[in-house]
Amino acid sequence: MASVTTVAPTAATKSASKSGKTSVPGRGLRLTGYYLILLIIVIVFITPYLFSLFAAFKPLGDILGQSPARPPTSPTWANFRQIFTQDDFGRYLANTLLVTVILTIGQVTFSMMGAYAFAKMEFPGRDALFWMYLATLMVPNVVTLVPLYVMFAKAGLLNTYWAIFLPYTLGVPQAVFLMRQNFMTIPKEVMEAARLDGCSESRILWRIVVPISKPIIITATLLAFVFGWNNFLWPLIVTNSNSLNVLSVGTANLNSNFADQWNLVLAASLVALIPMVILFAIFQKYIVRSISLTGINR
Amino acid sequence: MSVAAVTTGLGKPKSSEATPAADRRRIRTAFAFLAPSLVGVVLFLVIPVILVIILSLTQWNLLTPLKWVGFSNYANIFKYDAFGHSLLVTAYYVVLNIPIQTVVALGLALLLNNKLRGSAFVRIVAVLPFLATPVAMSVVWTWFFDPTNGIVNQLLGHIGIAGPAWLSDAATAMPIVAFANIWQYAGYNMLFFLAGLQAIPPSMYEAASLDGAGKLSQFRRITLPLLRPALLFVLVTGVIGSFQVFDTAFVLTNGGPGNATTVANLNIYNTAFQGFRIGEASAMSVILFLVILVVTVLQFTYFNRRTTYEMV
Repeated sequence: MASVTTVAPTAATKSASKSGKTSVPGRGLRLTGYYLILLIIVIVFITPYLFSLFAAFKPLGDILGQSPARPPTSPTWANFRQIFTQDDFGRYLANTLLVTVILTIGQVTFSMMGAYAFAKMEFPGRDALFWMYLATLMVPNVVTLVPLYVMFAKAGLLNTYWAIFLPYTLGVPQAVFLMRQNFMTIPKEVMEAARLDGCSESRILWRIVVPISKPIIITATLLAFVFGWNNFLWPLIVTNSNSLNVLSVGTANLNSNFADQWNLVLAASLVALIPMVILFAIFQKYIVRSISLTGINR
Repeated sequence: MSVAAVTTGLGKPKSSEATPAADRRRIRTAFAFLAPSLVGVVLFLVIPVILVIILSLTQWNLLTPLKWVGFSNYANIFKYDAFGHSLLVTAYYVVLNIPIQTVVALGLALLLNNKLRGSAFVRIVAVLPFLATPVAMSVVWTWFFDPTNGIVNQLLGHIGIAGPAWLSDAATAMPIVAFANIWQYAGYNMLFFLAGLQAIPPSMYEAASLDGAGKLSQFRRITLPLLRPALLFVLVTGVIGSFQVFDTAFVLTNGGPGNATTVANLNIYNTAFQGFRIGEASAMSVILFLVILVVTVLQFTYFNRRTTYEMV
């Protein structure tokens, strides 16, 4: 599909730009109105980030006493210093990175291998198994929450790193499906030629399929990473020790213990939010496209 | 493998793999590729779905021996755990959330579907919240809607309005939870409408305006019908997600005030992980699953019927 950033003009905007050259009265006014609306939209989406950024660098007194729209007059790292030293946000950040990276690498690699098997290999029971994957795609997360917890409890895995990432690391049907649909479009002849040349299947996957499927793999990687980073309910229930907290759980705890210390809880929130903003800034085109891809494929 | 392939390599590709040994090896490789995700799907999705049904027929706190109680949990959760109330609360959330979110997303798509300078930037900005950690963003909203120190009430104060105690007022708490979700996913859903809009050939609008159709009638007769697949997707995924809302409700209100925002998922969480009543929580999960299933099927049937009707 076409990328969203290059949008074909609709009839409406076409006629608008045509009439612009013949300077119809009122066009300037309409355009001003349009940009006013755009400005409001940008304010609505940016303000929560911007104001919490300002607040995180202010002492509590300034947060309470000043307009949130005012940048900090003398920016201070004190809030961050406090949550990193008196609370354990350095640890939470490291934990989050660790489990998210493991989850992402595992999920993408294993889903990719499964997707390749479904798309390009023949084996007995393939269609039945694929239907099973499709069926599990419909299972809402909330349904598996309690039984998964019971399973992890009985396996003695509660309060371990394993518990946090394992359910999402061996491959998930969403990612398998996403990549399988993409691999299906690779002509069969490519694989057959490689097989005739004596390529093993794993060599075909890593040397041929992966390089030509880079966009979809980046897509799956981004989706897995964002999921892992933002995940809250599952880490909340399978861990209850401070040393295993991820950022989302640590932030929620801090918020319920120090609800009125806006300087601290907002600084903590930013530790989780800012990396996602940076990720978005770097991969913005991929993310926009990947969202559209997941929509088309489902 | 290479030997087998070379010796019969001139035939059809299918026959080149037909020697039993090579075949067996190919099948082994395929299953080796499939194994990790298959283990994942079976262990973490298929078995839990079966297990949750079994557990829903028991009384168990994970420590004492498990006791079979038949279907009594299904009655008890409505009698003693206000599960009916939390389903209604969830439905209220869905009804607040989905229509507004869909209209906002569609409005953004229609507004930004052009090549004017700045539109591309605003499209990107609107998608940014999709990545925001819901827990962290909920903390920010808690601050925004704080009765005394929040910017919302400060602004309202400037124009002489005493704002409510948003999150601890039963009338406004749920709308704020819905707002947090709409803010996060409006831009995300906009992308599906944008993709749908781009798929409409401009010639259709040109033909329509030659026939004298006005903007509004073009929108109703061309844009809306052709956006139906995007609309179905946005509604179905939105509704499935909304029925499972947790993070925002947990941080913003923790179910309060009273139990005005105790959505089903929060009730399940409290029952299972605060009260350690696994059987009751499992029964709740099963019912919520059925509710989601029924609502999803209803949406598909409704859309299918409408589509055939229009095409006749």
